[in-house]
Amino acid sequence: MGICSTVGPCCCGGGVMGRRLPQIFFALSTLALVLIVVAVWQASTPSWKDYQRRFFQLESQAEPNAVTKAAVLATPPQIHQILLPGLQRVDRCTTCHLGVDDPTMKNAPEPFRYHAGLGSHIPSKFGCTICHGGQGLATDVKGAHGSVPFWQDPLLAKGYIRASCGRCHKEGDVPGVPELTAGRRLFETEGCHGCHKLNGVGGSIGPDLTEEGASHRSPEWLEGHFLAPNVVSAGSAMPNFHFTKQQARELSYYMLSLTNADMGFFYSSLRLIPSPEYGRQLFEEKDCIVCHAIGGVGAKTGPDLLAVTKRHSPEWLDEQLVNPQLVYPGSSMPEYDLEANARKALVAFMSSATAEDAQSILAHRGNALTPADVAIEAGKRDFARFGCAGCHGTELQGGVPNPNAQGGQIPSLLHVSDDYTKGEIIEVIRNGRVPPLENPAGPTPPLYMPSWKKLMSDEDIHQIVDFLWSKQQKAKDSW
Amino acid sequence: MNLIREIWQSIVRRDPLSTDKGKSELVFLNVWLHIHPAKVKKENLRFKYTFYLGFITFFLFVILLTTGIALMCYYRPFPPQAYQDMKDLEFVVYMGPFLRAMHRWAAHGMVVCVFLHMCRVFYTASYKKPRQFNWVVGVLLLLLTLGLSFTGYLLPWDQLAYWAITVGTNIGSYAPIIGGQVREILLGGHTVGEAALLRFYVLHVAILPSALILLTIVHFWRIRKDGGLSRPTWKLKPNQPEALVTIGAPAQVEPLRTVAASKDKTYGLMEVVTGKPIFETIEADEEEDAVFSYPYAFFREAIALMVTVTGIMAISLFFHAPLEQLANPAKTPNPAKAPWYFLGLQELVSHSALLGGVVAPALMVLALLAIPYFDRNPSRRPTDRKWAIWLFTIFVVVNLVLIVIGTFFRGPGWAFVPPWVHVVAGAE
Amino acid sequence: MNRRAFLGWGAAGFVALCSGVAVSLAAVVRYLVPSVFYEPPQSFKIGDPADFPFGPPTFLPDEKIFVFRDREKGFAVASAVCTHLGCTVAYFQSDQRFHCPCHGSVFGPNGTVQHGPAPRALNWFEITQARDGQLLVDKDKVVPPSYRLMV
Repeated sequence: MGICSTVGPCCCGGGVMGRRLPQIFFALSTLALVLIVVAVWQASTPSWKDYQRRFFQLESQAEPNAVTKAAVLATPPQIHQILLPGLQRVDRCTTCHLGVDDPTMKNAPEPFRYHAGLGSHIPSKFGCTICHGGQGLATDVKGAHGSVPFWQDPLLAKGYIRASCGRCHKEGDVPGVPELTAGRRLFETEGCHGCHKLNGVGGSIGPDLTEEGASHRSPEWLEGHFLAPNVVSAGSAMPNFHFTKQQARELSYYMLSLTNADMGFFYSSLRLIPSPEYGRQLFEEKDCIVCHAIGGVGAKTGPDLLAVTKRHSPEWLDEQLVNPQLVYPGSSMPEYDLEANARKALVAFMSSATAEDAQSILAHRGNALTPADVAIEAGKRDFARFGCAGCHGTELQGGVPNPNAQGGQIPSLLHVSDDYTKGEIIEVIRNGRVPPLENPAGPTPPLYMPSWKKLMSDEDIHQIVDFLWSKQQKAKDSW
Repeated sequence: MNLIREIWQSIVRRDPLSTDKGKSELVFLNVWLHIHPAKVKKENLRFKYTFYLGFITFFLFVILLTTGIALMCYYRPFPPQAYQDMKDLEFVVYMGPFLRAMHRWAAHGMVVCVFLHMCRVFYTASYKKPRQFNWVVGVLLLLLTLGLSFTGYLLPWDQLAYWAITVGTNIGSYAPIIGGQVREILLGGHTVGEAALLRFYVLHVAILPSALILLTIVHFWRIRKDGGLSRPTWKLKPNQPEALVTIGAPAQVEPLRTVAASKDKTYGLMEVVTGKPIFETIEADEEEDAVFSYPYAFFREAIALMVTVTGIMAISLFFHAPLEQLANPAKTPNPAKAPWYFLGLQELVSHSALLGGVVAPALMVLALLAIPYFDRNPSRRPTDRKWAIWLFTIFVVVNLVLIVIGTFFRGPGWAFVPPWVHVVAGAE
Repeated sequence: MNRRAFLGWGAAGFVALCSGVAVSLAAVVRYLVPSVFYEPPQSFKIGDPADFPFGPPTFLPDEKIFVFRDREKGFAVASAVCTHLGCTVAYFQSDQRFHCPCHGSVFGPNGTVQHGPAPRALNWFEITQARDGQLLVDKDKVVPPSYRLMV
């Protein structure tokens, strides 16, 4: 090959001189052009534009004249979003669900239908995902409905959407959602706290449930799990509580409502009206009747509350509810950490409360109260509140399997007084205990008695032991 | 018409490309092209010798720069927003998914190509005198590339990013004495958090790219100053004395022949001034082996560029960059893996923290840096350097095997799980 | 292949390359145009007509608008952004004028400049009633001061 002074001879020389280079260059440049055009085309034709086109067609049918029809049809496609800084959310659902706040779209086909019955929960203030779940940021159907990998909060299944009411309505009864209210009660009474942490409080044997509502678990999974923990998740240490189907559903409702997302000031449910009804509800919730009587009906530990508002000013009562010891040195009344409207509501209730009210509250509680029961009752409540019942059972029967612990299960507490003194049991509760092993070479049993001294006051522990001993008596009687 | 010609001439200021002078002037009168020599050796154009890996790496870096700057317009380096910005890129920004995918795949591609380029340079013994220092610069560029990829890994702030960086920085903290401190400086704290994201961002968009650009300039400059790209001298005609082709040290410079320095040839300003080349000797025989950069080299480079760009675009059209759930320091995915190029080290760390965290990476970097000064064998012929080739091949294969094991064969709890076995993550 | 064909393919490739670059540049420009805005929307609902009293205008600080309601004439919405340098003006019921605190511009009852450096009258925005009965203000649609919505 000679020195190349012109291009011609060289490019025909083959080999290193690359005869076909220009063709290859042309082919690649064209391919690049095609690829970039495809990318542009892909980016320019997102699926939401189709939905908007269909919606505008639907909307234009209702328009009376040709000019407005054309104007509606010519609406430029654009992504709609509801900014919710208070919830740290951005919902773009209304990009396709365009008729959500338009009553004339009452009978329109989905996704354009009007959302009736929202009351004060208007979409422009609340968005959509706060109730429905789903991925508000997404603009394609699959991604937005959230059943995609790596999105924890998919659309709630039909029949469970109201579970999310509990995400803002965090306390007390949720009007219109009895399942949620019942689920919360069950969680308390069955002692779930004993094993599960919720917002930083509770045991650490089971998983933390603070964010259970955003854990991608389906209602079916949850219900199945409550009915048979071991079947749904093999090796689970959770005992079978033999819930009914209804109870499993109620607990699932509660689980789905659990999220630690900050709902912000605007969205937190506050009782704004300190009504006597709310006060009565609080009176029942806080179990005031355990210490107080109204018109002679109830316990005698605290003063009778009949006409208490005549004896004390509302300010005095308010102070008393904030800090009983300060107003009344030596008072045995605990601090209840009530917010201002709750205290006002209680005072409102007390101003009109009668013996009949106390009677019906007691009846509602389900069992008549003798003064002797009061202390034991407090212990029983503590037993449930701190979650002891989770392992030892509401009837102290124990029996939850605990492989390789002595006896292979959680011990029954019905006979503790035979083997221990009250002092010894108090020590066990205070410091916790790892159960002795059945087989010393075997694995550590999954369940153990945690130390409670940081969570329970000495008074709590004594009350619980009194409650235990009261049960011993009964057990021996029936023996 | 004349005016247009005049304007054009004022821009290019060269003779027509049909003349040799024009071809030469195209190169050295153009600020962008003058890093090339006016003429290149034919062997340097041979695909099977270089595979154009250096070019491809450089072009990938150009893609990364352009897409990266575009992505910066939609990114805020603060924890919750960073993730939301990723979602915005995915769902509302025009061409956002495509650009992000291009950036991601080009980044992975650059790590691969830098490594392959290094292998090519080793196997052709191109690091030998006078190119020792350029090898060192190359190793530094490899480290910078890894650093860029690693810092970029954190920016999406999803679970994948968060835990890869947690694991990756912990591998580094096994280094004695300084390990912990370096990690602290890098993260701006003891765990990956807000401060770490900001620091990684600064490293990723300012410090590391600047360093990489500066060193790339040195790398390219040194190619010219070290006598152009190396050639497969052992394949050249036997009558050509080896000394002539491998020269570069000033001591070996021989005077330029008058015929070679004739008026029609262009060799750059310095040669005109001194009347002889400073590094490269031009022999009449060799002259036959050289061709003008235009069009031969430029067409090939353009093709390398187009192959790189179309390749990355095609991959990006079909495979989007992954985005997992928002980073959650309270939930470690099982298994938590470092970025794939550090999985070899993570595999070693799982056996011995000292070995994987300290000994192996330190030895690897030091050995790579020392290669040109340690390897005293002057020959570049493959048959003369069997030992070197064997050692390097073992190094490459061990690295690859460890990375493949770490990537595909490690399941929950870092247990050995072949990729064809499906494992359900531990029950709760 | 002769030289002509060689350069012909190269030139065609170059044209394709340039078109690709042109499309890419256009795409980049489009990329930089934001598809969503993280700011209060230009068109928004302000509530039910019954929420607004007759008499002095209601000032909405987030939206920076005054909502006027008149028993005979109906609703009108004025911008509270001074046309001079963008300060928020205040409405004085005493003299029924808008006063800008920054450089003393004063606007008459219908928004025209009466004093100070402001170059233009205050904007009036379109207000309509949405299908759900709420009042809808569109800041993108500037209307003459005489514009009124009767509910």
